[in-house]
Amino acid sequence: MTTDKTPLIRVLDLEKKFDNINAINNVSLDVYEGDVLFVVGPSGSGKSTFLRCLNRLEKPTGGKILFDGVDICSPNCDIDIHRQKMGMVFQQFNLFPHMSIMKNLIIGPMRLQKKSREEAEALACDYLKRVGLLDRKHDYPNQLSGGQKQRIAICRALCMGPQVMLFDEPTSALDPEMVGEVLSVMRELAEEKMTMVVVTHEMNFAKEIANRIIFMAEGEIVEENSPEEFFLNPKSDRLKAFLGKVL
Amino acid sequence: MDNIVRSFYQNFIEDNRYQYILDGLKNTLIITFFAVILGTIIGFLIGAIRSTYEKTGKLKFLNAICHIYLAVIRGTPMVLQLLITYFVIFASVNVSKIVVSIIAFGINSGAYVAEIIRSGIMSIDNGQFEAGRSLGFSYNQTMILFIFPQAIKNILPALGNEFIVLLKETSVSGYIAMQDLTKGADIIRSQTYSAFMPLIMAALIYLILVLVLDQFVKYFERKMRNSDH
Repeated sequence: MTTDKTPLIRVLDLEKKFDNINAINNVSLDVYEGDVLFVVGPSGSGKSTFLRCLNRLEKPTGGKILFDGVDICSPNCDIDIHRQKMGMVFQQFNLFPHMSIMKNLIIGPMRLQKKSREEAEALACDYLKRVGLLDRKHDYPNQLSGGQKQRIAICRALCMGPQVMLFDEPTSALDPEMVGEVLSVMRELAEEKMTMVVVTHEMNFAKEIANRIIFMAEGEIVEENSPEEFFLNPKSDRLKAFLGKVL
Repeated sequence: MDNIVRSFYQNFIEDNRYQYILDGLKNTLIITFFAVILGTIIGFLIGAIRSTYEKTGKLKFLNAICHIYLAVIRGTPMVLQLLITYFVIFASVNVSKIVVSIIAFGINSGAYVAEIIRSGIMSIDNGQFEAGRSLGFSYNQTMILFIFPQAIKNILPALGNEFIVLLKETSVSGYIAMQDLTKGADIIRSQTYSAFMPLIMAALIYLILVLVLDQFVKYFERKMRNSDH
């Protein structure tokens, strides 16, 4: 789905060093509107760090990230404005335990986008209905199962009306029987052409809904391909070895 | 029995000596109350500065100043801090002893409250912080909306204990001739030459105050736990 349109996210020579360890090395990548980009790779390959650099939860030590044409790494950039347009879903859900589900969903739209409570609640109810959790809106996060929490976390990000959704291993902390319910929400999002960048270990899911897959190892992008080619004809030895282990 | 009644009469009723206890109690409560407020304000500011530095690396200079403050206050005896505040810092200024006491105890308590608050903030999982920031909330908004409310819940027992310690610690304000509860009891002792009644009375009053405060802390703790789902 790569077109000549300007990319929504353009990553140029991204570099991230932790002390003296290079977590990310010279990574360049364009993400276009409607892309469902999956990032896979062995643990410690820098894929989560890469994702977290995209909304600057990790501060890159080199290179540039253009989001919607704006360099979000520049010191003059008000990152808070841009983060509102980049939804993030965490492995550990990170719902706010001292707030009800409804409060979790409306606090962003109300405080940051100055929406009225009615407007924000209506929006939240829409999303809750879609993920099948409308009846839990008055509950607190710790009354929910892991899969339910993650669906709420996805709703919380969507309520901000993001241009792109970043998923950082969204199913890795879940019991196996709860993975499906989260993946089906993500599948729906992909079908609606939401731009998504997903770091995951769910290979079959990647094969099914991605339009591009990236393989990262040792902080670099080793290989990029369409899902069919990625799994059928891996080019590099490292990807072959990796696929041999996980498939 | 007669002896006890006579001793009680002599120590508290005769010449209205109970006034020493009442005035002392009033002063003890005033000092504690305002020192708690001052200590909480100082502790909050310093705790916020220190945890901001630990989380983001910013406010390096302020953090260094806070470090010195904490080291000095926690490294020297309370009595000396009180004496220095009264006889050195406020030596040439005409300020009432009760104000001096409030300032000295407030500044002292602030150091302990600061460390409690800092540990409370640092005890909240960083994922909460990242969740707030990733939605687009600023550092300050994230702290106020998501981190502090959870931290307060965790540190309430420790804060309550600190205030109980503070209440008892004000008993050294007699060193600057501030007439607090302890000093009041001691004045009676010096007039009646009987130590048992006034001192035990003062001790009992402290004990009751602490027990009452303790119940308050437990009550709030329970309330907080109830809202924890």
